[in-house]
Amino acid sequence: MLSALQNPRYAAAQLLNFGLILSTAFMMWKGLSVISDSPSPIVVVLSGSMEPAFQRGDLLFLWNRNWMEETKVGEIVVYNVKGKDIPIVHRVVRKFGIGSKAKLLTKGDNNLADDTELYARGQDFLVREDIIGSVVAYIPFVGYVTIMLSEHPWLKTVMLGLMGLMVVLQRE
Amino acid sequence: MHSSVVRVQNVFGFFTTVCFAVAAFIALSDYYSPRTPSATLAVKDIQVVRGRPHYYSTKKEEYAHIRFSLSSDLSTLFTWNTKQVFVYVSASWPDASAPNKTAHVNEAVIWDTIITSPSADHLQNIGPAAMKKLLKSAKGNAIDPSRGKLELKNQKPKYQITAPSGNVANIENVVLKLHYNVQPWVGILTWTPQMDILRWKQVKGGVSKAFKLPAIKVKEEKKKAAK
Repeated sequence: MLSALQNPRYAAAQLLNFGLILSTAFMMWKGLSVISDSPSPIVVVLSGSMEPAFQRGDLLFLWNRNWMEETKVGEIVVYNVKGKDIPIVHRVVRKFGIGSKAKLLTKGDNNLADDTELYARGQDFLVREDIIGSVVAYIPFVGYVTIMLSEHPWLKTVMLGLMGLMVVLQRE
Repeated sequence: MHSSVVRVQNVFGFFTTVCFAVAAFIALSDYYSPRTPSATLAVKDIQVVRGRPHYYSTKKEEYAHIRFSLSSDLSTLFTWNTKQVFVYVSASWPDASAPNKTAHVNEAVIWDTIITSPSADHLQNIGPAAMKKLLKSAKGNAIDPSRGKLELKNQKPKYQITAPSGNVANIENVVLKLHYNVQPWVGILTWTPQMDILRWKQVKGGVSKAFKLPAIKVKEEKKKAAK
């Protein structure tokens, strides 16, 4: 018991190990970000507006490069509205023009009306710049942990406590 | 070495590895099943009317109502990994002021529908009576390819289309196209392919003849008053 406290060399090794895990995760995230050219290459679905395709907690992989063709009607894109933090996952239903100035309109499959109401004041359309990626792959439910953590902050404390306990209890 | 914590860690690690391996296998199995969709799409009645984008708006815009007939067989899109197929019909037209006058740079969805696999029926956002009917329609089947067969006659559009300029009357060379988006239970999302990819073929047909949007329909009373 409490071997970590008795052996400083061991404690330092544990700490380094923990740092290594953290930095590996961070590098993988940033690496994926560079490959997909998206500031947030993996997103968790937060609302039911794309049901039944996506439920809350599903994991989406984004791709933000237009190698073969432009972002077009029918694609499911994640966009940020100016002045709002929450990214929205909806489908492009109209596109007028081509290139970076093309006007895009989005709509959630499960919503009756299109997204004009969600956009910033005076904004009727999105442009390519507002989009942070198109959905290319899907894993169900895995992201639900993050929703749980953000909705029940006490879980964070519990998890941190458990992790700390594990580090202390571990023998080798 | 063999503390209970380590054992729990190992079991959990093995569990996630197995989960991801099974998921990867299911996702890859998509490429094995052939996709040979076909469709015929025909324009029926077209009207262009003036209206407002919403009730409190003072802006007047032109809206095109395009009725169409669709007969399609998308049954090969339904496999064990299909959660839903999103089917949509879009109208596209060129921009007369653009450098390339023939490229269809404008596109708008006029109709769409979600066809769920029986395994995803319970997720649909529909009323209790419709849900009961839907669940009953595929009782005992995990896959129901017959749902991919659509027969729409003189279908009303779900969305009336307009353009940022507010003018859509007299636009020429408009084409309707059928598209689909297969949503898997796990794996890669796929859209209507632009070319044949291994076992996945392009949609056979699924494009209407080019047509012209008519001039604005004037209300009967106004016509009489003008006389």
